[in-house]
Amino acid sequence: MDFISHDEKTIAEMLKIINVSEVDDLFQDIPKELIIESLNLSDGMSEPDVLDKMREYGSKNNIYSHSFLGAGCYYHYIPSLVDFVISRSEFYTSYTPYQAEASQGYLQAIYEYQSVISRLTEMEIANASMYDGSTSLAEAAIMASIITGKNQVILLEGVHPEYIDVVKTYCWGQNIELKITSEDKLNDVLNEDIAAVMFQSPNFFGDITDVLVMSNKVKDKYPNCLLIQCMTDPTCLGLLKPPGKTNVDIFVAEGQSFGIDPSFGGPGLGIFTAKKKYLRKIPGRLVGKTKEINGNREGFLLTLQAREQHIRREKASSNICTNQALCSLSALIYLVSLGKTGLREIATQNFQKAHYVKKALASIPGYKILNKKPTYNEFIVMCPNINGLIRECKNMNLLPPLQVSTYYPEMSDVVLVCVTELNSRKSIDKFIKAAKLAINNEEERVD
Amino acid sequence: MDYEFPENLKYTKTHEWVRIKDKTATVGITDFAQHQLGDIVYIELPEKGANLEKQSSAGEIESVKAVGELSMPLSGKIIEVNSTLVDNPENVNSSPYGSGWILKLEYTNELEIDDLLSVEDYKRIAEEEN
Amino acid sequence: MDANERLIFNKGNELVQQNFIPKLDIKSEKIEEILPKNLIRDELRIPDVSEVEIVRHYLKLSKINYGVDSGIYPLGSCTMKYNPKVNEIVARMTSFSKLHPLQDGNEGALEILYEISQMLCEITGMDGFTLQPAAGAHGELVGLLIIKKYFETKGIVKNKIIIPDSAHGTNPASAKMAGFSIIELQSNEHGEVPLDHLEYAMKQGDVAGIMLTNPNTLGVFDRQIKDITRIVHEHGGLCYYDGANLNPMLGICRPKDMGFDIVHLNLHKTFSTPHGGGGPGSGPVGVTNELIPFLPIPCIVSTKKGLICNYDNHESIGRIKAFWGNFSIILRAFVYILSLGADGLKRVGQIAVLNANYLKTLLKKKYNLPYDRICQHEFVLSDKYLPNDITTEDVAKRILDYGFYAPTIYFPLVVNGALMVEPTETESKDSLDKFVEVMNQICDEALNAPEKLKNAPSNTPIGRLDAVNAARKPILHD
Repeated sequence: MDFISHDEKTIAEMLKIINVSEVDDLFQDIPKELIIESLNLSDGMSEPDVLDKMREYGSKNNIYSHSFLGAGCYYHYIPSLVDFVISRSEFYTSYTPYQAEASQGYLQAIYEYQSVISRLTEMEIANASMYDGSTSLAEAAIMASIITGKNQVILLEGVHPEYIDVVKTYCWGQNIELKITSEDKLNDVLNEDIAAVMFQSPNFFGDITDVLVMSNKVKDKYPNCLLIQCMTDPTCLGLLKPPGKTNVDIFVAEGQSFGIDPSFGGPGLGIFTAKKKYLRKIPGRLVGKTKEINGNREGFLLTLQAREQHIRREKASSNICTNQALCSLSALIYLVSLGKTGLREIATQNFQKAHYVKKALASIPGYKILNKKPTYNEFIVMCPNINGLIRECKNMNLLPPLQVSTYYPEMSDVVLVCVTELNSRKSIDKFIKAAKLAINNEEERVD
Repeated sequence: MDYEFPENLKYTKTHEWVRIKDKTATVGITDFAQHQLGDIVYIELPEKGANLEKQSSAGEIESVKAVGELSMPLSGKIIEVNSTLVDNPENVNSSPYGSGWILKLEYTNELEIDDLLSVEDYKRIAEEEN
Repeated sequence: MDANERLIFNKGNELVQQNFIPKLDIKSEKIEEILPKNLIRDELRIPDVSEVEIVRHYLKLSKINYGVDSGIYPLGSCTMKYNPKVNEIVARMTSFSKLHPLQDGNEGALEILYEISQMLCEITGMDGFTLQPAAGAHGELVGLLIIKKYFETKGIVKNKIIIPDSAHGTNPASAKMAGFSIIELQSNEHGEVPLDHLEYAMKQGDVAGIMLTNPNTLGVFDRQIKDITRIVHEHGGLCYYDGANLNPMLGICRPKDMGFDIVHLNLHKTFSTPHGGGGPGSGPVGVTNELIPFLPIPCIVSTKKGLICNYDNHESIGRIKAFWGNFSIILRAFVYILSLGADGLKRVGQIAVLNANYLKTLLKKKYNLPYDRICQHEFVLSDKYLPNDITTEDVAKRILDYGFYAPTIYFPLVVNGALMVEPTETESKDSLDKFVEVMNQICDEALNAPEKLKNAPSNTPIGRLDAVNAARKPILHD
């Protein structure tokens, strides 16, 4: 199956017009010794055979009935109309909308996405999106360095450990010095030469920071130091004070929670927003509203492109060329499907249900909640028998919470529990039962 | 070539014009340069008070499809920038030698003035690039 | 209608029933008692819109948007080929779509990642692949960071990269992001890299390597490719292959055999995954054996115990994206490679080149073709000789009036007023003929009715837009 529609006769006619005798003649510029006989791959397959084979791979993955795992990738309900819209092939088979007049549909949708993200975050500008949360945070660090002309940034512990690693790689590439410290010690490392302070709230362990207090602390002493906040599950914005109200300069988030399937972690959606004064330094595409040259109708187009790599080349602030257009379309449909009422409700349910599980676990002897600050839908718990808990969860067809030791080996008894609106009462009861059963088998605990 | 190149100005290879009066120089981009860039949409101006070397970047001039750099024709201190260009960048298109001026500087090395181009020399360069 | 009235924000309705959230079935507490009031938000300006209104709104928008499924999409360097529907079905299977990146019980996914890496090695000749990069430009950054790390590890200072003037804009931007400065090399009259200039630049000693796409953006295969890579290697540099133009080479020849050390691929170009309106893409990076230690983490390695994930590699450039790359895109490309097999892929290369040359032969009768040679996947026309001050943009906009998408315009920069055309292998002869007919008609109009081009498009949902005012006074949201 090769999706090509020429038969041999057509090919012969075309060759005649080109004035060569065979297809191989078209490769005459390629040195003979470079031409290969054939690829060592299997033969092509029909659609039913491919589907069979893929089902076989699929059967080697375990999909659980309910999940208590989050840690940067979340299970939220995806309204059916999200997939309906993104399956319209006028959208998904199109390219970056360079020819505005033939791409008004998508351009308007991206403009609506920028608008809905601005409204949700209350940040002054939102771009048309980036690859994911982790690369958005890294690009924010670079942007801050360009804006301030300084090459040191501070990152506070509690940022998702994989995001920290990505920021490290990008900073190394640009010779930006990255300092990692705790919120308590922030004052000791802050000085005039710092371009930005980066932090996550709610953070990897679930803690919600009072961002206004922190931004005042930083800005009072160093008004030119940028504050960069990141977030891995922005559904919390249905309930929590948005970054636009807490003096954050750049706010980035992973938007996977907004109508995008986990799909083993990708693609996600990099939400990227900033204060208006940084508009000319923001990476990525932007869609703007304007009028016709010879008319009065309003329409949409890619704008401020002179910031970008295809015009500015090595002087561009980023090499990014894509936006995650289809993912931003999912997020847009998700957010308008829920509306303000739904967004408040979903945030409230995540908060309430996680709080419920937190209290229930805390009441079981041996379990200890480690968070000292308020939390949203994730929190960390010390377990008396972590292996038992993981096993009992699996026995009950529950995707177990993250063992924090995956990233922090010293936290060997700690799990990061995630509870969303999709965790029914029944699944929560099972999870609590699994936690209790784990204690009963404490003697088999293995460290 | 239908571009305007006033006789009383000095020029650079990188398409800046310079008007020298006493110890100060007023700087902008030439009619030819603004035409090459097209409709100018944004100008990044240098900071007042900055001391910049000759040929270093003093700002950027953006059109829809291109970016041009404004480079210092002479070493010196920026004493004034044309802040009306923030809201009206189109002045550089409509009046490159008038309301489209970009900055004023106090030059520090008089000898550098000799390196600037005469109108005839600049015309030749512009013609070649055209 | 005014754009404001058309926006979704004006379709709000206060009586919308929420249908997408389960009923709260646990005992809840008063929020204010468990969350400090100063952390809670006040208003939220997102309207409540009914499901039917939303569906109609976006269906309407889809109808004023052009995709590959609408017709030929001849954007040069973008490889807008047909996106097979079976790919979409597989990506939506719950055994893949609901898989969490941090869970175990992921053997199926790991096997796919491992096997497609092997396939990409075979297709490009390389020895190892990372699937982490989220897009082509992201892959470029990874490739350049690998070059940086390679020299850092050896303790050699080389901080420059050679890039020809015909390169994609992402090349210099990526090199800069990896901390390199750029030496731009002017192509010669054949659109190829001049060997003497290359040798001169390499002799300076501080050049880490070259970034090249071959065939280049003029659609021309550089006949001296072996000499280019040899010269770079002789002076201790590395050769980077920008895989944006790999499509015509599938099953014909391979970047490693040309002498390249690093290659990035665009799965959304060569391997049929949808462009999605600008993303998500996927930009895997392949390297030679010598560079495998520098690949980003995690890597999947095959051991006696089966596939394992290697997170711990001290020579690696580090992590460049959270989790596993754009898995569902990689999955689509995997399905594509399985569907085509060895013969199918070779036919892609052959027919992509056949289609481009056919189109070129017919179009050069009326349009200027500055580099008149057998081309590979694409070719570049120019606006030279167009009468009545007609510009490339005018031609492009007029194409839209005839219901087709326009080629890439004003790129590559080495051709003034460039029109860069890449038909891909999936266009039928009939589709190509129709495109030629339209292009010929536009050429006639340029001569006899130039106002039709100057005022184009007039047959689209909206006329030519004011890009100048949009950039001077940006309006980026409502």
